[in-house]
Amino acid sequence: MSGGRNDVTARRGASRRLPLGNWERALLVLLVLLTLGLVAAVPGFYPGFGDFLALSENFLPFGLVALGLTTVILTGGIDLSVGTTASLAAIVMAELWTGLHLSIWIAALLGVASGALLGLVNGLIITRLRTEPLIATLATSFIYGSIATALAGDNPPSGFPDSFNRLGTGAIGGILPYQIVLFGVLAAFFSALISRSAFGRKVVMIGYNTEAARYAGIRVDRIVTLSYVISGTTAALAGIVLAAYYSAVRPDMGSILLLSTITTVVLGGVSIFGGDGSIAGVVIAVLLLGMLRQGMLIAGFSDMVTTMVTGAILLGAIALKNLFAGRGTGLATLLRRLRIRPAATT
Amino acid sequence: MSAPALQAAAALPVRPRPARGSAWLRRDLREIALVGVTIATVLVVGAFHRDFMSLQNLRFMMLGCVVLSLLSLGQTVVIATRGIDLSVAPVLGLSAMVTGLMAQTGGLPLYGAFAIALAIGLVLGTLNGLLVARLAIPPIITTLGTYSLYSGLIFLYSDGTQVDSVPHAYATLGNGVVASVLPVPIPVLVLGIVLLLMWFIIGHTRFGRAVLAIGNNQAAAYNAGIPVTITQVGAYTISGVLAALAGLMFLSYTGSATVTTGTGDHMELQSIAVALIGGTAIAGGRGNALGTVLGSLFLSVILTALVFVHVPPIWYSAGEGVMILLAVTAGRGARA
Repeated sequence: MSGGRNDVTARRGASRRLPLGNWERALLVLLVLLTLGLVAAVPGFYPGFGDFLALSENFLPFGLVALGLTTVILTGGIDLSVGTTASLAAIVMAELWTGLHLSIWIAALLGVASGALLGLVNGLIITRLRTEPLIATLATSFIYGSIATALAGDNPPSGFPDSFNRLGTGAIGGILPYQIVLFGVLAAFFSALISRSAFGRKVVMIGYNTEAARYAGIRVDRIVTLSYVISGTTAALAGIVLAAYYSAVRPDMGSILLLSTITTVVLGGVSIFGGDGSIAGVVIAVLLLGMLRQGMLIAGFSDMVTTMVTGAILLGAIALKNLFAGRGTGLATLLRRLRIRPAATT
Repeated sequence: MSAPALQAAAALPVRPRPARGSAWLRRDLREIALVGVTIATVLVVGAFHRDFMSLQNLRFMMLGCVVLSLLSLGQTVVIATRGIDLSVAPVLGLSAMVTGLMAQTGGLPLYGAFAIALAIGLVLGTLNGLLVARLAIPPIITTLGTYSLYSGLIFLYSDGTQVDSVPHAYATLGNGVVASVLPVPIPVLVLGIVLLLMWFIIGHTRFGRAVLAIGNNQAAAYNAGIPVTITQVGAYTISGVLAALAGLMFLSYTGSATVTTGTGDHMELQSIAVALIGGTAIAGGRGNALGTVLGSLFLSVILTALVFVHVPPIWYSAGEGVMILLAVTAGRGARA
């Protein structure tokens, strides 16, 4: 077995001793420092434990999308349709609730199922028609968006039952928001799925080297399709949580999800080329970006300024990561171009 | 230094290269098909609705595709290097906002607006290129990050205001005709000049060859002595400049600019869609300037036709999505 050790197995061995990789640990330290800094510097950021936890209700829908999107990006693909999938699923739910007078919870389940179906369509277009994921999901995002707008009509339903709205804004015992519970459970599930299950290993291997995975007997098309189904499902779930949060649906409510979620996943250390990354990193990135955003909003910065800062952080983080990981044109080239001595950075 | 690059070249899958003759035929087929379908649409819809064939409507459809065409031409060059530029939408918005506000409050002359727009595009596009080529950040991440940055700049610069009216000279640029004896709209003339320029640059210059070579196989291009960094930066600079020019044309045509101009209706995704419909390969190595403009014109004609046959506007973007899938799968069929 020792003869077969390589990059991947070595990293796995190390991950048994330390629960987190270097990138994740750096993010975690940053998250703790940022949270402490915001608590100390921004008045009103920590009004009490319950209200502090409730801040997360503003950004955890992004986290839900990020979990599924991570699965897709790990295979080396991308899903640009997550935003419109979220909108469409929420509208399907709302229309089933008002149109067919279904129980809101059954409607919500059907909404999530519709997200899985939309993901399946993405997966089949990509694997059967051999279309680049970027093109296929760009096209389907246009199509899903149109369907969502058409279904919603001029007056999309709103005013869901309070028991349902609690999913978005309620908290267990007034302290622990349901959103945190949902996100926590799903994050644990995805973490196990990606790093402890055969499916997860296959996903990572396909992203690492699709041809090798195919020669190794992995049913690449099936795994890839499944990853888009997963992404569609989590996007739909996010749409339904958003619907509960606003107690309303709109055909464009998911459009804010797409770019921020890709930012989160990439900042979480997942390679955009696939085959490298962890759910732990993405979860920390969700919290990091979310806390930063909430902190800046509470401190009185406008939404656009926080978006700018997020963009700058993304660029800076990936530039740094390249520097340390030697991706792209290679560490040596990079260092030579930046005229930094190797000893100074490692 | 060259050893790792050589390894990377070996690791890349070998792509079957069609013979030269069939490549030319394929490219021509795409353009002929686009022209054919466009003319067929005009004739069929025109047969049922006389107004669709009217000179005024034909001019309207040509005007409607100018802004998106300019944006997509830049996108074409970037995609040909195997990159992607999501930041074209905020560059368009920023250019429209800056020149618009200056014209509205300070009476900025038109040549000044051109200079400022070009400067904005040059700086922002080059920044994208430097991040991609020198810091080796994947294009999609780079331009996602600068998308946020540039959108923020629009917000900061506008400071809550917006452009509602522009001086007469701008309106002439956006809506006037070249001369009364030659009823070609000025924006169409501008697009024609840019198209000629881009067609020449992609197909007939050393830079264009370098762009296609990098898109085909970056490691091989590097080993063949092609200046990869400079070419990549150049591609993003061109995209930025054309996006800024598109912003100025948008401002002149509509006479308005808001914080969400460009980013609001996801111009960046539309420009990618148009480039793909026009026959540019997302995997790089193939860029088609004429196809891009024909694709944009086709889109404009189809969308206007949908208005005439009373399809509700909510289905337009679905139509766009279907067209992307058709265009890409049709291209694949021709390659096989």
